Amino acid sequence: MALYEHLLIARQDISAQQVDALATHLKTIVEGEGGKVEKQEYWGLRGLAYRIKKNRKGHYVLLNINAPSKAIVELERQNKINEDVLRYITVKVDAFEVSSNKARRDDAAKPEGETTTEEAAL
Amino acid sequence: MSHAGSREGGDKRRPFFRRKKTCPFSGAGAPKIDYKDTKLLQRFISERGKIVPSRITAVSTRKQRLLAVAIKRARFMALLPYVMR
Repeated sequence: MALYEHLLIARQDISAQQVDALATHLKTIVEGEGGKVEKQEYWGLRGLAYRIKKNRKGHYVLLNINAPSKAIVELERQNKINEDVLRYITVKVDAFEVSSNKARRDDAAKPEGETTTEEAAL
Repeated sequence: MSHAGSREGGDKRRPFFRRKKTCPFSGAGAPKIDYKDTKLLQRFISERGKIVPSRITAVSTRKQRLLAVAIKRARFMALLPYVMR
Protein backbone atom coordinates (compact mmCIF):
# COMPACT_ATOMS: atom_id res chain seq x y z
CA MET A 1 0.00 0.00 0.00
CA ALA A 2 1.20 3.44 -0.84
CA LEU A 3 -0.04 6.96 -0.27
CA TYR A 4 -1.37 8.93 -3.19
CA GLU A 5 -2.83 12.37 -3.66
CA HIS A 6 -5.43 12.41 -6.37
CA LEU A 7 -6.62 15.78 -7.63
CA LEU A 8 -9.26 16.07 -10.31
CA ILE A 9 -11.15 18.81 -12.10
CA ALA A 10 -14.79 18.18 -12.96
CA ARG A 11 -16.78 20.03 -15.60
CA GLN A 12 -18.28 23.38 -14.56
CA ASP A 13 -21.85 22.51 -15.61
CA ILE A 14 -22.41 19.75 -13.10
CA SER A 15 -23.77 20.49 -9.65
CA ALA A 16 -21.95 20.16 -6.36
CA GLN A 17 -24.12 17.14 -5.55
CA GLN A 18 -23.03 15.43 -8.74
CA VAL A 19 -19.41 16.13 -7.83
CA ASP A 20 -20.07 14.59 -4.47
CA ALA A 21 -21.63 11.55 -6.12
CA LEU A 22 -18.59 11.28 -8.39
CA ALA A 23 -16.24 11.42 -5.42
CA THR A 24 -18.21 8.71 -3.62
CA HIS A 25 -18.14 6.62 -6.77
CA LEU A 26 -14.35 6.92 -6.91
CA LYS A 27 -14.19 6.07 -3.25
CA THR A 28 -16.07 2.82 -3.82
CA ILE A 29 -13.65 1.93 -6.63
CA VAL A 30 -10.69 2.43 -4.34
CA GLU A 31 -12.33 0.45 -1.56
CA GLY A 32 -13.26 -2.28 -4.01
CA GLU A 33 -9.55 -2.74 -4.75
CA GLY A 34 -8.71 -2.95 -1.07
CA GLY A 35 -7.66 0.63 -0.55
CA LYS A 36 -8.86 3.45 1.63
CA VAL A 37 -9.69 7.10 1.05
CA GLU A 38 -8.18 8.88 4.02
CA LYS A 39 -9.48 12.31 3.20
CA GLN A 40 -11.80 13.86 0.67
CA GLU A 41 -11.62 17.57 0.11
CA TYR A 42 -13.87 19.62 -2.12
CA TRP A 43 -12.33 22.93 -3.12
CA GLY A 44 -15.44 24.26 -4.79
CA LEU A 45 -15.92 25.81 -8.20
CA ARG A 46 -12.66 27.56 -9.00
CA GLY A 47 -11.62 29.54 -12.01
CA LEU A 48 -9.20 27.71 -14.29
CA ALA A 49 -5.99 29.44 -15.32
CA TYR A 50 -6.86 28.69 -18.94
CA ARG A 51 -9.75 27.13 -20.78
CA ILE A 52 -10.04 23.34 -20.89
CA LYS A 53 -12.61 21.99 -23.32
CA LYS A 54 -14.36 25.37 -23.32
CA ASN A 55 -14.65 25.36 -19.53
CA ARG A 56 -13.57 28.48 -17.68
CA LYS A 57 -14.27 27.04 -14.26
CA GLY A 58 -14.11 23.65 -12.67
CA HIS A 59 -14.90 21.72 -9.54
CA TYR A 60 -11.71 20.65 -7.81
CA VAL A 61 -11.71 17.51 -5.69
CA LEU A 62 -8.73 16.23 -3.76
CA LEU A 63 -8.58 12.65 -2.52
CA ASN A 64 -5.92 11.36 -0.18
CA ILE A 65 -5.70 7.68 -0.90
CA ASN A 66 -3.95 4.83 0.80
CA ALA A 67 -4.22 1.97 -1.66
CA PRO A 68 -2.31 -0.57 -3.72
CA SER A 69 -1.26 0.52 -7.21
CA LYS A 70 -4.00 -1.60 -8.77
CA ALA A 71 -6.64 0.68 -7.31
CA ILE A 72 -4.94 3.72 -8.85
CA VAL A 73 -4.84 2.09 -12.26
CA GLU A 74 -8.56 1.41 -12.06
CA LEU A 75 -9.26 4.91 -10.75
CA GLU A 76 -7.41 6.54 -13.61
CA ARG A 77 -9.08 4.26 -16.14
CA GLN A 78 -12.52 5.34 -14.89
CA ASN A 79 -11.51 8.99 -14.95
CA LYS A 80 -10.36 8.67 -18.52
CA ILE A 81 -13.77 7.34 -19.54
CA ASN A 82 -15.82 9.84 -17.54
CA GLU A 83 -16.54 12.95 -19.61
CA ASP A 84 -17.31 15.00 -16.52
CA VAL A 85 -13.67 14.76 -15.49
CA LEU A 86 -11.57 17.32 -17.32
CA ARG A 87 -8.22 16.52 -15.75
CA TYR A 88 -6.78 14.47 -12.97
CA ILE A 89 -3.36 13.98 -11.47
CA THR A 90 -2.12 11.34 -9.09
CA VAL A 91 1.01 11.99 -7.09
CA LYS A 92 2.67 9.48 -4.85
CA VAL A 93 3.64 11.07 -1.56
CA ASP A 94 5.62 10.02 1.48
CA ALA A 95 3.16 11.61 3.85
CA PHE A 96 -0.06 13.56 3.49
CA GLU A 97 0.31 17.28 3.98
CA VAL A 98 -0.89 19.03 7.07
CA SER A 99 -4.08 20.97 6.56
CA SER A 100 -2.35 24.29 7.32
CA ASN A 101 -1.69 24.75 3.61
CA LYS A 102 -5.38 24.66 2.89
CA ALA A 103 -5.93 28.20 4.08
CA ARG A 104 -3.33 29.52 1.68
CA ARG A 105 -4.95 27.68 -1.18
CA ASP A 106 -8.38 29.06 -0.34
CA ASP A 107 -7.01 32.58 -0.33
CA ALA A 108 -5.66 32.11 -3.80
CA ALA A 109 -9.00 30.75 -4.93
CA LYS A 110 -11.00 33.75 -3.83
CA PRO A 111 -9.10 36.97 -4.40
CA GLU A 112 -12.33 39.00 -4.07
CA GLY A 113 -13.05 37.62 -0.61
CA GLU A 114 -9.51 38.37 0.44
CA THR A 115 -9.66 42.02 -0.52
CA THR A 116 -12.94 42.56 1.28
CA THR A 117 -11.54 41.17 4.52
CA GLU A 118 -8.49 43.37 4.17
CA GLU A 119 -10.69 46.40 3.69
CA ALA A 120 -12.69 45.41 6.71
CA ALA A 121 -9.49 45.21 8.75
CA LEU A 122 -8.56 48.71 7.66
CA MET B 1 48.98 46.90 -13.84
CA SER B 2 49.42 48.07 -10.29
CA HIS B 3 45.67 48.79 -10.15
CA ALA B 4 44.93 45.27 -11.19
CA GLY B 5 47.11 44.02 -8.39
CA SER B 6 45.40 46.16 -5.82
CA ARG B 7 41.99 45.12 -7.06
CA GLU B 8 42.88 41.53 -6.66
CA GLY B 9 43.96 42.39 -3.15
CA GLY B 10 40.26 42.72 -2.77
CA ASP B 11 39.56 45.33 -0.13
CA LYS B 12 38.48 48.12 -2.47
CA ARG B 13 34.92 49.21 -1.79
CA ARG B 14 32.83 47.69 -4.52
CA PRO B 15 30.27 49.93 -6.24
CA PHE B 16 27.44 47.46 -5.78
CA PHE B 17 27.32 45.47 -2.65
CA ARG B 18 25.37 42.31 -3.13
CA ARG B 19 23.63 40.87 -0.12
CA LYS B 20 24.26 37.21 0.29
CA LYS B 21 21.00 35.47 -0.49
CA THR B 22 19.88 32.17 0.96
CA CYS B 23 17.58 29.57 -0.43
CA PRO B 24 13.97 30.23 0.62
CA PHE B 25 13.26 26.49 0.82
CA SER B 26 16.20 25.52 3.03
CA GLY B 27 16.62 25.85 6.72
CA ALA B 28 14.15 25.70 9.57
CA GLY B 29 10.59 26.85 8.98
CA ALA B 30 10.98 26.74 5.23
CA PRO B 31 7.79 26.12 3.26
CA LYS B 32 7.28 22.77 1.61
CA ILE B 33 7.19 22.81 -2.17
CA ASP B 34 3.72 21.65 -3.14
CA TYR B 35 2.02 21.94 -6.50
CA LYS B 36 -1.28 22.80 -4.83
CA ASP B 37 0.14 25.84 -3.06
CA THR B 38 -0.33 28.36 -5.84
CA LYS B 39 0.27 31.36 -3.65
CA LEU B 40 3.76 30.14 -2.89
CA LEU B 41 4.53 29.07 -6.46
CA GLN B 42 3.35 32.40 -7.82
CA ARG B 43 6.38 34.05 -6.28
CA PHE B 44 8.66 31.99 -8.50
CA ILE B 45 7.07 32.67 -11.85
CA SER B 46 7.58 35.79 -13.91
CA GLU B 47 4.90 38.21 -15.04
CA ARG B 48 4.69 36.28 -18.25
CA GLY B 49 4.21 33.01 -16.39
CA LYS B 50 7.72 31.68 -16.85
CA ILE B 51 9.69 29.96 -14.14
CA VAL B 52 12.19 32.44 -12.70
CA PRO B 53 15.80 31.21 -12.81
CA SER B 54 17.34 30.25 -9.50
CA ARG B 55 20.18 32.74 -9.94
CA ILE B 56 17.58 35.45 -9.37
CA THR B 57 15.47 33.80 -6.68
CA ALA B 58 18.46 32.16 -4.92
CA VAL B 59 16.67 28.82 -4.70
CA SER B 60 19.18 26.00 -4.33
CA THR B 61 19.73 23.72 -7.30
CA ARG B 62 18.01 20.82 -5.68
CA LYS B 63 14.98 22.80 -4.61
CA GLN B 64 14.77 24.50 -8.00
CA ARG B 65 14.32 21.11 -9.63
CA LEU B 66 11.51 20.24 -7.23
CA LEU B 67 10.03 23.69 -7.72
CA ALA B 68 10.04 23.32 -11.50
CA VAL B 69 8.16 20.03 -11.25
CA ALA B 70 5.65 21.57 -8.84
CA ILE B 71 5.03 24.52 -11.15
CA LYS B 72 4.53 22.22 -14.11
CA ARG B 73 2.04 20.12 -12.19
CA ALA B 74 0.17 23.24 -11.13
CA ARG B 75 0.06 24.36 -14.75
CA PHE B 76 -1.35 21.05 -15.87
CA MET B 77 -4.12 21.27 -13.30
CA ALA B 78 -4.92 24.82 -14.43
CA LEU B 79 -3.88 26.26 -11.08
CA LEU B 80 -1.24 28.35 -12.83
CA PRO B 81 -1.26 29.60 -16.42
CA TYR B 82 1.21 28.46 -19.05
CA VAL B 83 1.36 32.00 -20.43
CA MET B 84 0.12 35.30 -19.11
CA ARG B 85 -0.58 38.18 -21.40
